Amino acid sequence: MPSTKHSMRYGHTEGHTDVCFDDKGSYIVTCGSDGDVRIWENLDDDDPKSVSVGDRAYSFALKNGKLVTAVSNNTVQIHTFPEGVPDGILTRFTTNANHVTFNADGTQIAAGSSDFLVKIVQVDDSSQQKTLRGHEAPVLSLAFDPKDAFLASASCDGFVRVWNIAEQICEMSWSLLQKCNDVVNVKSICRLAWQPKSGKLLAIPVEKSVQLYERDSWSNQFNLSDDFLTQILNVVSWSPCGQYLSAGSIDGCIVIWNVVTKQCIDRVKHDRGYTICGLAWHPSGGQIAYTDTEGNLGLLENVCDGQVKKSSDKVQSVATRDYDSLFDDDDNDFLNREPVECQEEKAVEEDDDIIPISGRLRHHGPILDDDNSIDDVPSPKLGTDPGKTEVEEDGYVKASSVQSLTATAFQRPIYDGPKPTPRQKPFQSGSTPSHLMHRFMVWNSVGVIRCYNDEHDNAVDVEFHDTSVHHAMHLTNTLNHTIADLSQEAVLLACESTDELTSKLQCLHFSSWDTSKEWMVDMPKGEDIEAVCLGQGWVGCATSALLLRLFTVGGIQKEIFSLPGPVVSLAAHGEQLLIVYHRAVGFDEEQCLGVQLMEIGKRKRQVLHGDPLPLTRKSYLTWQGFSAEGTPCYVDSEGIVRLLNRALGNTWTPVCDTREHCKGKSDHYWVVGILENPQQLRCIPCKGARFPPTLPRPAVAILPFKLPYCQITTEKGQMEEQFWRSIVFSSHLEYLSKNEYEYDENYKNQTTKEQQEHLMKMFALSCKLEREFRCIELAELMTQNVMNLAIKYASRSKRLMLAQRLSDLALEKEAVLAASHQQQEDEAEEEDFQTRINAGYSRTATEWNLPPPRNVECEQDTEALNDADAPEGDEMEPEEMPAMSKQRLNSFSNDVSSPETPSIRSGAVISSSQGRVNPFKVYSNQKGVVASGSSVSPNILDNMNKFTKKSTPNNQATNKQKTLVIKPLMPKPKSKLTQGTLFHSATPKPEIKKTKQKEKESKTENTVPKISISSEKTENKKPKTGFQLWMEENRGDILASNPDLEESDIIKEGMSRFRILSSEERMMWIEKAKGGGGTAADSTEIKKRKRETDESKDGRESQAGEPADDSNTTKKKKPLDQSTSMKLSTFVFKKD
Amino acid sequence: MEPAEVEFLAEKEPVTVVPNFSLDRIYLIGGDLGPFNPGLPMEVPLWLAVNLKQRQKCRIMPPEWMDVEKLEEIREQERREDTFTPMPSPYYMELTKLLLNHASDNIPKADEIRTLVKDIWDTRLSKLRLSADRFVREQEAHAKLDNLTLMEINTTAAFFTESLNHMYKLRTNLQPIEGAQSQEY
Repeated sequence: MPSTKHSMRYGHTEGHTDVCFDDKGSYIVTCGSDGDVRIWENLDDDDPKSVSVGDRAYSFALKNGKLVTAVSNNTVQIHTFPEGVPDGILTRFTTNANHVTFNADGTQIAAGSSDFLVKIVQVDDSSQQKTLRGHEAPVLSLAFDPKDAFLASASCDGFVRVWNIAEQICEMSWSLLQKCNDVVNVKSICRLAWQPKSGKLLAIPVEKSVQLYERDSWSNQFNLSDDFLTQILNVVSWSPCGQYLSAGSIDGCIVIWNVVTKQCIDRVKHDRGYTICGLAWHPSGGQIAYTDTEGNLGLLENVCDGQVKKSSDKVQSVATRDYDSLFDDDDNDFLNREPVECQEEKAVEEDDDIIPISGRLRHHGPILDDDNSIDDVPSPKLGTDPGKTEVEEDGYVKASSVQSLTATAFQRPIYDGPKPTPRQKPFQSGSTPSHLMHRFMVWNSVGVIRCYNDEHDNAVDVEFHDTSVHHAMHLTNTLNHTIADLSQEAVLLACESTDELTSKLQCLHFSSWDTSKEWMVDMPKGEDIEAVCLGQGWVGCATSALLLRLFTVGGIQKEIFSLPGPVVSLAAHGEQLLIVYHRAVGFDEEQCLGVQLMEIGKRKRQVLHGDPLPLTRKSYLTWQGFSAEGTPCYVDSEGIVRLLNRALGNTWTPVCDTREHCKGKSDHYWVVGILENPQQLRCIPCKGARFPPTLPRPAVAILPFKLPYCQITTEKGQMEEQFWRSIVFSSHLEYLSKNEYEYDENYKNQTTKEQQEHLMKMFALSCKLEREFRCIELAELMTQNVMNLAIKYASRSKRLMLAQRLSDLALEKEAVLAASHQQQEDEAEEEDFQTRINAGYSRTATEWNLPPPRNVECEQDTEALNDADAPEGDEMEPEEMPAMSKQRLNSFSNDVSSPETPSIRSGAVISSSQGRVNPFKVYSNQKGVVASGSSVSPNILDNMNKFTKKSTPNNQATNKQKTLVIKPLMPKPKSKLTQGTLFHSATPKPEIKKTKQKEKESKTENTVPKISISSEKTENKKPKTGFQLWMEENRGDILASNPDLEESDIIKEGMSRFRILSSEERMMWIEKAKGGGGTAADSTEIKKRKRETDESKDGRESQAGEPADDSNTTKKKKPLDQSTSMKLSTFVFKKD
Repeated sequence: MEPAEVEFLAEKEPVTVVPNFSLDRIYLIGGDLGPFNPGLPMEVPLWLAVNLKQRQKCRIMPPEWMDVEKLEEIREQERREDTFTPMPSPYYMELTKLLLNHASDNIPKADEIRTLVKDIWDTRLSKLRLSADRFVREQEAHAKLDNLTLMEINTTAAFFTESLNHMYKLRTNLQPIEGAQSQEY
């Protein structure tokens, strides 16, 4: 069975590399020409620990926590492992050493250098050196005899020599290799190897085969070769059991032989055919790590499985199989097993030390016997094959170790289900791993904090992107801070606790206006800070005690609450706090995270209550934070960026896949910030890494967002993606307006315009494709104005069916909107009354200062509610007028979209109470009409959105009327609604007249010339609506038949009667009304009109003083004319 | 043309800077620039980059080709070939000079780059001199030189045309004299 080959990954820069496992097999260690030794937890470890050992590392050896490296400054030096602390220099050469190797017990190292020398040095006492002279060219490779008697070396002079270490003489030499003059020209580096434990055989890669020489006799026992090999072999390596031999060639082939059977059991070819220059077996067998000359690292797994099947008939393999399967079954038990095995080995080695080499065989007998006597492993077979004593010996040794292992390992039940994932550690967004000597503590939109922690310096550098925030700072890091955050106001640093000191939170509040800009807080003993964040005016810190502590930025302790799980990361923006924590244990490499979003402002509330955080499969969180506009977002290790979609029930929408933009497989983008306006994903491209180095200073790149929609290559898919992206990225505007933040009105207009343009384009496309149903679906997403455009488009492209349906839809939509608004109004009103009066929200304080007495009155009956609001609106109006008029003037000077400003304004004020009666109710129809007028005007797209939203509430009556009068076939309005409408429109009137000051009104009119123009039209036409005319005539009748009806009921009754009329009759009335309206509309130029308007308004007001039914009729008439007025206003505007 | 004028032209070349201030779009005769976002790389003309750098308002990102390895490659190619090789930028010399003089702290291995660019410059100028020499000696009527940058042309153009004029004069003067002499005799 072939072994599993993992794909190669980037390990070092191009050049010679070397690899081995540490003693316990828990790390893969590599060195490369970049001068680094990297310690990998596994092949997928994206953040290996790097130890810089020199400019170039040629070779290294690892044993007993000592890392010996041969580096380019001609020394052989020692580092501790895994810490990587330099521990002195062992020896020097006149040029660099090519290979270093430990002896079996790690007491000596041998190094061969390009100055033809081989040196053997005692590790603990470097003064004890032995130099072996004899090679006539640079020494390539060395191999210690496991019994420390001999040392084999290969050299560029073509000779392989075996040295007697004790006598420092050359015991044997073979001329096997091609001669050459220097290491760089050599074809094969000829990494030779002794059979482990027994040292019985010496394997030497020669050309395309491995030659095995027997100890003592130094005769060539046999050669191992395979047809698979087409190029020269470069390295050989024995399995730790000594039964298998692997060899790597210069064209990337790896072949594994069973030495006993001399059969090739596995062949692997490197993906790219690079030269294999490092080959190492896992101490337990099953895995082989290899490196190539391009700096890549690869791993073969399950090498043992193959052995088991292929050689199960062999005696010794029985033992091996047990041994191997044992390791295969529970890979995580190395730690437990290792000591046992070590002891075993040591025992053997000690024996070896005492007894002369020749006596070794004899000496092994008793041990074996002992083993057999207590053995329950299939020992009867052991020793039954006298022909293979040499190899068996190893088998026996293993058998004994296996047996002792079985005792420890087999007792435990083996868990076979999904494996729990280790929890990801807490991190700060925008930081690089804390073990690096030079690292980023944070990189965000404000600035960069770097941390230097080397021999010279332990310092923190704070640098601001915008130097106007603050000048750069350099702090000495005496407390050893590892966690940091940065905002426009302060720098926040935190350190973990040490033996003496507790964990500390330090804040440099540089924006403080007093002189003491720094404060520090000690955490309680045993509580470590794990994550911090800086909001606007507050500080949050999560600790290992599952607490979240809040402070003011000045250092006052505020709220404290418990976290539902160990924190992963914190992020803050303004008043928002985003907490990601471990909800539970994840399985199969997945994390199980939860997210909380809170608002910590004046009013505190939790927006996300610990919802699960969706991550890509088998990924973890790498960045989390807020967009510059305040929308929470995060990035996972697969490079997917997700943004909170507040408009869709706080779900997360993937908005970008950074991996799509990467060139190489191991390239990544390190996210530093997200902007919604303009749409930018700011990140740093990292080649071959997940995070950037501090030097050279990385440059920020900008990635575009792309939602993963289907069929993105087609025009339809593209437009859909654009439309929804625009929706997603403009949802923050709603949030901002809801929370009273400032935002750019123009931008909002622009985005809505853009969205509607997309819709229109899609509409046109579907039209072209004859997808009329789809057109209707699209139209449902459109705003009123664009819908009109769509109707035009449809009719022009001769799709009358579509046009008809569209106009039906438009009307329906209007009605629905009106209804919902009315309902909301009613509901919200009542709620608001209570809540507002009780809570006294800050925003509306001004409005509400005035009305309370009236409110009390109002509450007497439901009708009165509406009454109360209207005047309120009026009262508010004068207050706001000064500010508003300016605004209006500006906006008006710009374009026709002007009427929006006031309506939006009012909308914003109202928004929290949604449907509260428009404070500008008096003008309501003016606005409505103007808006509708402008809707037909050329600049439609400018104003669309608002119009529909804002105008509809005002126009609700209109809509109703329309349905009644013009489109008798439309769905009947619900009676309830009608009633509401009537109340709404009817009642305010009398109040208005009383409260309203005419001067103010006229002022408004003056400031808003255009409004007045159109309003005037409406006004003029008002008395001429068909219904009103009819009503005037028939009022008496109604009253007669129902004398006890109230005003509103009269109108209701009137309406129902009017509705019953035949269409001809109705048309007659309408015609009548129109006749009057037409003349009015045609007449006079603007200024005159304005005056007229005022007059007419005044007139209307005085009129309104009369019985309410009259005012009702006026009210209703306005809407009636809407279509007419729309036409007219278009006319006027076109004229303009 | 003066070298200063060539430099002036070179100052229009766009370079990438990382501003450390925030500024809205600015509207200039040569086109709109900005908006400037602190920490976000953007392209501005060289003159502005240098100006901002002098006021410590930005960090300059070296152009892509201003890299030791790439320049070494260019240098080797320039040495290998007899003709002029295309340069990474038509104003490579001016850019190098201005950037290294004003922003050497933002450019890794500034000294090596200076040497390399100087090497390339020297190689090219010697080629130019050689070809001019051949041109004159072989009394050619025209020659074609590709891939020369403005600054390089500027080093010889004025002198070379002037000297060709002089030589022409000398030659034309020489012949009538000879003719006159022959007439005399």
